[in-house]
Amino acid sequence: MDAITTQKKLNSEEIFAILKGFITEVIGEEFVEDMDISRESSFTRDLEMDSIEIVSFSEKVKAHFGEHIDFTGWLSGMDLDQLINLTLDHIIKYIESCQSSK
Amino acid sequence: MARFAFIVPPLTGHVNPTLSLGAELLQRGHRVAWISLDASLITRLPKYGELLLVEYDQDDADKKNSEEYLDQITKKNVSGIESIKFLYEDVLIPLNRFMFDGILTQLENFKPDVVINDHQLFAGAIAAYKRRIPYATSVTAPAAIKMMDDLPGVHEWEMKQITGLQQELGIPGDKGIVCSEALTMVFTSKDFFGDMRLPGFYRFVGPVIRNRSVISGFNWERFNSMKQPRILVSIGTTFDHCYKKEFFGKVIEAFADEALSVVVVSDEQLFEKWPDNFIVSERVPQLELLPHLDAVVCHGGHNTVSETLLHGLPLVVIPIAYDQSHVAGRVVSAGSGIRLNYRRFKANHLKDAVYGVLQDPSYKIAAELIQRSFEEAGGAAAAATMLEELISRHESYGVPGSQAFYRNRFYH
Repeated sequence: MDAITTQKKLNSEEIFAILKGFITEVIGEEFVEDMDISRESSFTRDLEMDSIEIVSFSEKVKAHFGEHIDFTGWLSGMDLDQLINLTLDHIIKYIESCQSSK
Repeated sequence: MARFAFIVPPLTGHVNPTLSLGAELLQRGHRVAWISLDASLITRLPKYGELLLVEYDQDDADKKNSEEYLDQITKKNVSGIESIKFLYEDVLIPLNRFMFDGILTQLENFKPDVVINDHQLFAGAIAAYKRRIPYATSVTAPAAIKMMDDLPGVHEWEMKQITGLQQELGIPGDKGIVCSEALTMVFTSKDFFGDMRLPGFYRFVGPVIRNRSVISGFNWERFNSMKQPRILVSIGTTFDHCYKKEFFGKVIEAFADEALSVVVVSDEQLFEKWPDNFIVSERVPQLELLPHLDAVVCHGGHNTVSETLLHGLPLVVIPIAYDQSHVAGRVVSAGSGIRLNYRRFKANHLKDAVYGVLQDPSYKIAAELIQRSFEEAGGAAAAATMLEELISRHESYGVPGSQAFYRNRFYH
């Protein structure tokens, strides 16, 4: 897993690209080809990820952004409804907010 | 001789381990009863086991038809995390609310020394707690505990549903009491369950499996004549909906005319014709079959996975809902199988995965390691001894019964 080596702030497009890469790693490239992954995609309904897939996605996010954001803590705070409705956009906004508070 | 009462939901996977454990207790000379909504359970109980049916006067307008709960879970098509919401809101909480009064009545009738509540039969623990009867909890779907680590927010949400019910039924406070702090038996091994820090009252006793009932009508002659390798494909008893057709359609596409034999647990009528290398039966003698199989494809139900690993066989797991995703996660972490996504997998993925676990010996070796850990965990005998100790622990206080236990719960 690549660690971020610079403190450079990422814009939302860059964050989206990184997250999309993680989704591809979790669910497999051939499936992603058939999917239209957008910022509005929800993990449960649109991407049809089950709980273990969401957990392994979050581990990748944590490994990548680990030093800069408390992603696991943020995700842990979510209740069931929030998790069901979780979209890529929510995560992008959260990462952005962490960057801007540095 | 003591009296033990199991309180179980009408779900096969949750009932089966209690039948084995109950048989062991009966053999030791105890009286053992099962409190359930399901009248057909009587046919599956071990000899001398007693059924205490939760039933209500039909005129009682407040009590809904119990069949509704039995049906809900088999008819509904839910998957992923949303299934957990459905499970609690539409099945478990109403089911427990419904059963509570009937459980209290049966506890008064039978006067058990120890109650064993299923971890999803919250009302069983609540009733025992209120009547100050010592209780142990049987965790028949251990992967659910993993939720605490994997998705703590979801675990908290679950606890909130449970404590809400506790309050409604007369136990104030926000502390969950449904997993007994005296003894919570987890029906798997620590090796399979994986690393997780848990309080000492969680005891890993391994899967408890017994030759349950004779299943007639399976065509053994034909099975024995079929070529090897042989695999079993089963998605359990809870998913009896139209999606079975889609699922088994992919199974047919993957394995029709392949150089292996496929035992399918399904209604034969699902398709007009099955491939020649398939043997299809609505009920199969799974435990008798396992020694003659090479791999199992299943939905990640805890019992089927446990039974398969207990025979040292590798798995392909396709979790559909509830805790199955976590069970599948454990299978993969242990190196004993491959998981596929129920929504996304296609026939070629299933085919590749099955040949993968058949041809790469590492899966079988890993399965055999888990097999050993299961055998060492003690099983029904160990669990029965723990339950007996619960009585002596509780009696040794010398106070009439449950008062001492009640204190013990908080101070041991």
